[in-house]
Amino acid sequence: MVGLSLGEQNFIKGGIAQDLRTDGRKRLTYRPISVETGVIPQASGSARVKLGATDVIASVKAELGKPNPSHPDKGKVYIYVDCSPTAEPTFEGRGGEELSLELSSALQRCLLGGKSGEGAGIDLSSLSIVKGKVCWDLYIDGLVVSSDGNLLDALGAAIKAALSNTAIPKVQVAANASSDEQPEVDVSDEEFLQFDTTGVPVIITLTKVGRHYIVDATTEEESQMSSAISVSINRQGRICGLTKRGGAGLDPSVILDMISVAKHVSEQLINKLDSEIAAAEARDEEDEMDS
Amino acid sequence: MEYVNPEGLRLDGRRPMEMRQLRGEIGVVSRADGSAVFEMGNTKVIAAVYGPREVQNRSQQLNDQALVRCEYSMANFSTGDRMRRPKGDRRSTEISLVIRQTMEACILTHLMPRSQIDIFVQVLQADGGTRSACINAATLALADAGIPMRDLVTSCGAGYLNGTPLLDLNYVEDSAGGPDVTVGILPKLDKVTLLQMDAKLQMDTFENVMQLAIEGCKAVASYIREILLENTKQLESRRGV
Repeated sequence: MVGLSLGEQNFIKGGIAQDLRTDGRKRLTYRPISVETGVIPQASGSARVKLGATDVIASVKAELGKPNPSHPDKGKVYIYVDCSPTAEPTFEGRGGEELSLELSSALQRCLLGGKSGEGAGIDLSSLSIVKGKVCWDLYIDGLVVSSDGNLLDALGAAIKAALSNTAIPKVQVAANASSDEQPEVDVSDEEFLQFDTTGVPVIITLTKVGRHYIVDATTEEESQMSSAISVSINRQGRICGLTKRGGAGLDPSVILDMISVAKHVSEQLINKLDSEIAAAEARDEEDEMDS
Repeated sequence: MEYVNPEGLRLDGRRPMEMRQLRGEIGVVSRADGSAVFEMGNTKVIAAVYGPREVQNRSQQLNDQALVRCEYSMANFSTGDRMRRPKGDRRSTEISLVIRQTMEACILTHLMPRSQIDIFVQVLQADGGTRSACINAATLALADAGIPMRDLVTSCGAGYLNGTPLLDLNYVEDSAGGPDVTVGILPKLDKVTLLQMDAKLQMDTFENVMQLAIEGCKAVASYIREILLENTKQLESRRGV
């Protein structure tokens, strides 16, 4: 991207100060969100989310695995994000690795809770099949196809939609397995369980430009930011994770204010996202019935 | 295993000379200078072109022509089993090279000296014929970027199983161990720019299979031409012409 001139920078900052951004939005308005589910047929669940020109795909694959010995009654979830060079030429080769790692760890922090798996947005105990022996491993892969700012929010929304679309096969465990043997597990091809996503949080990123905060910044606006906070909030209004980015220091009262603004915005976003996901699933089912 | 049943139908219900369903769309990545998505059956590929722009690495700059670079990457979820390394492995490097050489041959690079054209191809779903889908997507993306080319480049693959030449193999047919011939042509100039084959094949059978692949390429070319015409009509109507 070509750098911004001083005049352009002032235009962006001035607009934000006046609550009128370059594309006409208010400070706390999101770009139009479009959600498509079931885009990757061979995955257990998938979704594609477009937030303006930002385009991301998330896919969920469920595989059988062995639970962690320190948490025998929980399944495992791995989140991995890849930035495709189609989004930015600088992502070529290993250029996108730093951003990918940053996004992956931010998402892990927001969705998976602490080291012990406590307080995770995704209920890990629902993934356990046989305590200590067999569990589901969920591999969540994100791909950034086109980038125009606010990747974290888009990926969070895509993961939520993909999890709503995920169907985990029903499993029959052989009843006569002895306690120290690996039990035989029969994975059903026919019956599926829909993954429960009511507890999955969304991520809201607030970008501070000058003295004001904006939601859903484009790449241009992000280049003018002093710092940003990404808050992950669930339906009950509770905070599930927090990340601060950017070098400028923030006054603690400002952080608290940003968090309350994020909570306020999250209600609208969650409702919008849920209705979009439901509409996408309905469209998906219609397509299946037609074909 | 039977790849062509006695009635002459393949595993997915196609006839031996039938291609998979094609679908293409231009302008999917708005930040790129040109972009396209191309689907051949279940194989889905996105191509994005950035350029002509200033050369990033001065030492690679060519004084009389444009530098063409290409990177091929597969998404983690593109294959049935989850892939560990999306790029940098040997197959990806080889395919990047193949696509670069094919596209470089048809771009009029002497018109844009000291500049760089980047072609990035991302595979979203892989079901056989990814190489061909990538080349077709790259052609559409280059056309969308307005980069001058000698001709379109279209590509298609063909194989030989159960004694029958088969057009446009999918992943199952490709993994059967039979020969797989990938051909890329310049349709108007009627020249072959890419020809690759693995496994063994009799000389006269090879000619048949190659001819079949060339027919497939021509079918793809007419489809691509349709998409580009449709796109131009839309641009005209938006300009109020």
